[in-house]
Amino acid sequence: MPFLRSLFEWVDTFPTSIALRESQFVYPYILTAHVVGMCIFAGLICMMDLRLLGVGNLRTPFSQVQRRLFPWQMAGLAVSAVTGLLLVYGQPMRFYSNFFFWIKTLMMVLAGVNALAFHRTTYHSVASWDSDAAIPFGAKLAGALGLALWAGVVVSGRLIAYNWFSRT
Amino acid sequence: MLSFFQMLNDLTLSATIRESIWISPVVNVLHLLALVVFAGAVLIVDLRLLGRGAREQPLARVAGDAQPWLIAGFLGLLVTGIPQLISNAMREYYSAFFWFKMEVMVVALIYTFTLRRKVTLADEARVGPFWSKVTGLVSIALWALVAIPARLIGLFT
Repeated sequence: MPFLRSLFEWVDTFPTSIALRESQFVYPYILTAHVVGMCIFAGLICMMDLRLLGVGNLRTPFSQVQRRLFPWQMAGLAVSAVTGLLLVYGQPMRFYSNFFFWIKTLMMVLAGVNALAFHRTTYHSVASWDSDAAIPFGAKLAGALGLALWAGVVVSGRLIAYNWFSRT
Repeated sequence: MLSFFQMLNDLTLSATIRESIWISPVVNVLHLLALVVFAGAVLIVDLRLLGRGAREQPLARVAGDAQPWLIAGFLGLLVTGIPQLISNAMREYYSAFFWFKMEVMVVALIYTFTLRRKVTLADEARVGPFWSKVTGLVSIALWALVAIPARLIGLFT
């Protein structure tokens, strides 16, 4: 994709981008903050999806798990997103040529679509199954897909470091 | 201690892990997935201790539901942590972050399964919101001090 490539190449020339990739300490600390954000975001998403799937936190109605964890999930997401963008900003060409970076991006989009689809369909009827042992198929599917996709995001995010299949 | 770490480093299994191109990444990735489960199970209870999270529910119920995931997550971290330790034993031995992580982890573990567990099972009215909040904040601080140096071991060697 020529547009994306020139965008990444352009960012690569920014003095602040160069400063970031040449810094000895800032980059590792941003990476560490990214992992902390991941713990909060993915951890609480995982707890919510286990509830949806019907295997965890079952004594709390789903709508309470969802509503009460949501602000904390968003806080974790904000930390991960800001630090993640900084990581890409500091080394755009490294990420552009990395296979797992694009897999991770794709999986994040799919996870977002999954959450949106669930909220627009099955979640409308939450009142009828909120505290039920019998969780509708749509909710279980959304929970399973959420767990699989976010696990995929975490896994491909970690594998970026290994540089397999990278075109440099 | 040094000779113990040298012994770990010299194990056939350690060499096998070091020489394989895929074992370390796979174990590493599984360690992260276990971390996500563990962090979620810790946080869902700590948020409730802070008077946030699922506050309509009794604390003991939230903590009881999270407990199997807390234990599963920790066992996952342990099982995937050991191969990383033995295959990099000398690097770990000379890493200040590694020792810091391990020391805080021992404290955090004891704290989680004694004091914190006692508070989550106790009558909430008796504990009161102040001590409940202190319990949650100490838990978050301790586990953050395990996770943060853990990431730094690999970045500064």
